[in-house]
Amino acid sequence: MSEEKIIIRLRDIVRDNATEERDWTQMNGETTIKSLGFDSLSILDLLYDVEQEFGIELEATDVVATRTVGDMAELLKQRGA
Amino acid sequence: MWSLPAPSVTWPSYSSSAEPSRLRHLSEYLLLRAALAVVDRVSVGAAYRFSRALADLWWVVDRRRRRVARENVLESGIETDPRRVRALSRRSAEHVGMVVVESLRSAEVLAEDRWREHIQLEIPADVIEVLEDPEQGLIVASGHFGSWEIAAQLLSRFKPVAGITRPMNNPRVEELILRRKPRYRFHPIPKYGADAGRFLEVLKSGEILALLTDQHARSGGVAVDFFGRPAWTYTTAAMLHLVTRAPLCFASCRRLAPMQFELSTSPLIQRARSGRKKDDVLAILTTLNEYLEAAIRQAPEQYIWGHRRWRD
Repeated sequence: MSEEKIIIRLRDIVRDNATEERDWTQMNGETTIKSLGFDSLSILDLLYDVEQEFGIELEATDVVATRTVGDMAELLKQRGA
Repeated sequence: MWSLPAPSVTWPSYSSSAEPSRLRHLSEYLLLRAALAVVDRVSVGAAYRFSRALADLWWVVDRRRRRVARENVLESGIETDPRRVRALSRRSAEHVGMVVVESLRSAEVLAEDRWREHIQLEIPADVIEVLEDPEQGLIVASGHFGSWEIAAQLLSRFKPVAGITRPMNNPRVEELILRRKPRYRFHPIPKYGADAGRFLEVLKSGEILALLTDQHARSGGVAVDFFGRPAWTYTTAAMLHLVTRAPLCFASCRRLAPMQFELSTSPLIQRARSGRKKDDVLAILTTLNEYLEAAIRQAPEQYIWGHRRWRD
């Protein structure tokens, strides 16, 4: 799967978790996870949903260490998404 | 979350100016030194009596806390008779004083050659297996029940324990308490530095992550029944279990007699992911609350009823 397609799927996941409305089309590889409203603990929620959506297991420490949506897409790609 | 072991004593803030703050810190420090001099030099029984007397005084003075404690006892349904409600909330305040004594004199209980004389273990085989496996991390959830500091320090005899602590506002007092407390292999994670990365490191290192789950979740929590009433609860323990598959159990440390305790844990709580995150989280947190309720029903005076567990 291309990084672009991964980001589109990530966008849906993030939108489902969001507590506020925003223009999700602006979300791209450069967007930081923090700016999407995930803090140091709620990133675990994102991890749960990402693993469900892509059907793969990720190392939690790797996911927590990602800074941007692009980093996460790259990680997913490496894991066979 | 498990705020260990600092929260037993908290100090109110009075002023923002530096000079009164320095004076206040110094007077608090001197008062604490004086109290410790008494606690250290007397028998355990006398130290308990001294701490209970101080707690009684605090109970009389702190009207708001007293009211909260009574309301919480009533809401829980554990007692309904007004006289018994008052008595229970007062004993709960005295229990806080006793926890402080136990914490300060924990070296007597936890000494290598003597702890078995003071602590009975009720730990199921599946949890023992994890405790004895140096590769395996363990999430231990608990509440402000019994002597949670003794529990954390004893568990650290099996493997290192990390728990969230709230540093005291008074640095002199903080330093004094830290200097005095034996911590064995307990590593505090400062409350404001707690994040998933640190928690994951603890679990990956095969250590115990201790979390007190009965604190009001200001944000990001879910409403979970506690004594039949929804209470906002942090999801961290449940989410960590779900995403890391690290084993999870509930633990409590009940006082049986002065300086005598029973440390018990639940069997491992297993929840495979269903794909419905909210259901999974709620199921785990409900189970943890049920274990906490059961522990409290055994010794309701050993629960800190004075903290506002049920808030809108």
